[in-house]
Amino acid sequence: MRDGVNLARIGVPAVALVSSEFWAQGDFIARSVGMPDVPRVQFPHPVAGSGTDNMRRVAQLIRDEIVAALRGGSGGVR
Amino acid sequence: MAVLTATDESAALELLHELGCTDGLPVVIPTEARVERMVVASGLPGDVSLGAMGPNLGDATVEKVAACAVMAGCLPDHFPVVLGAVQAALDPRFDLTELQATTHCIAPLLIVNGPARHSCGPIASGFGALGPGHRANAAIGRALRLCMINIGGGRPGTSDMSLLGHPGKFTFCLAEDEDSSPWEPLHVARGLAPEDSAVTIVGTEGPHSVIFVGDADDPTAPERLLQTLALTLANVGSNNAHFGKGTAVVVLNPDHIGVLASAGFDRAKTAEALCERAVNRRGLLRSLNPTMVRDGDPDDLLKAFRRPEDLVLIAGGGSGLYSMVMPSWGAGPHANPSVTVKVELDQACEIPGLAAG
Repeated sequence: MRDGVNLARIGVPAVALVSSEFWAQGDFIARSVGMPDVPRVQFPHPVAGSGTDNMRRVAQLIRDEIVAALRGGSGGVR
Repeated sequence: MAVLTATDESAALELLHELGCTDGLPVVIPTEARVERMVVASGLPGDVSLGAMGPNLGDATVEKVAACAVMAGCLPDHFPVVLGAVQAALDPRFDLTELQATTHCIAPLLIVNGPARHSCGPIASGFGALGPGHRANAAIGRALRLCMINIGGGRPGTSDMSLLGHPGKFTFCLAEDEDSSPWEPLHVARGLAPEDSAVTIVGTEGPHSVIFVGDADDPTAPERLLQTLALTLANVGSNNAHFGKGTAVVVLNPDHIGVLASAGFDRAKTAEALCERAVNRRGLLRSLNPTMVRDGDPDDLLKAFRRPEDLVLIAGGGSGLYSMVMPSWGAGPHANPSVTVKVELDQACEIPGLAAG
């Protein structure tokens, strides 16, 4: 989340990818660093160690949302 | 600072629990009068800021820290150490924001040295120093935690993502046993004068017990002790073993420190010996967590700690078979260092009867 905020602050289009278990923490950090609307996309937790097939499935699941968020649409935040 | 109202102290306690302002245990209600007394005892204006406390970047003013100290059950006498602890926690090298947010169980351990062990306590260093029954140890460590909750905003599951935590996250504070130690006190080793007081903060796991039975007739005893401590420090479940960095604490009981001192090991030499021996074979680590350790010769000995200075060694605990080691997290931008801060006792204002109420 902080990376997303820091990149956005220097003008680089960015979207933070946040797993469902860390979504509330992401909201907290976004608020605490003063950028509550920083674009972010949620994916199912966990992905670490879940295998290549699952990583591909997750990537498919959130691909359109990432693109929409990078294009400045509102679909990035849910 | 916001002021809440309640009909009585019971209602106030329930309100504080409900608002997530406690650690789950009952607190002393931080009434304006109690907070004011704590601030006055510090000799500092309440609006003096010690810095921004993460992850919430809350302004850690003396008044807010005083409110947390009141809640924790501190006496005004304890407050200079609490202020020193907060100052140490806010040192940018300590990476408090990351420490609060990590999924690791790390918690800040406070080690107190110098005259503050007595004037701000007594802060226990011997039998059961990290257990229940020592008011100053319990209250001072808890005050820092309540600051981390209420000023820093660290709350489980939303901003403090520790997967399980450990009991030291309630309170984690002891003094070094300077009186029975053959070594110079930790703060003196770090450049302060013996008459200074200091608090050292280190983020660590909970204590791991290390059993060692000495034998004055056995010349290999010092080496056996070093090996036992080092293997526990570099246990294969620790981050340090996998990351090869971080800080760890070793609390040596009077018998164990005596074994080392009589064999010519001072603090620096002991740290060097432990750093050298706290190793694992690359092949073993890769067989357990292949993605955490780079490929290479399986017989390489990988150090768990970068430098001897990353091992914080102190005297503490009762006489007997057990010492303790606390491995750590080893992450964050500064790789989890320890920070020592001088405790300012001269600014404290002694006011008769202040402890009451």
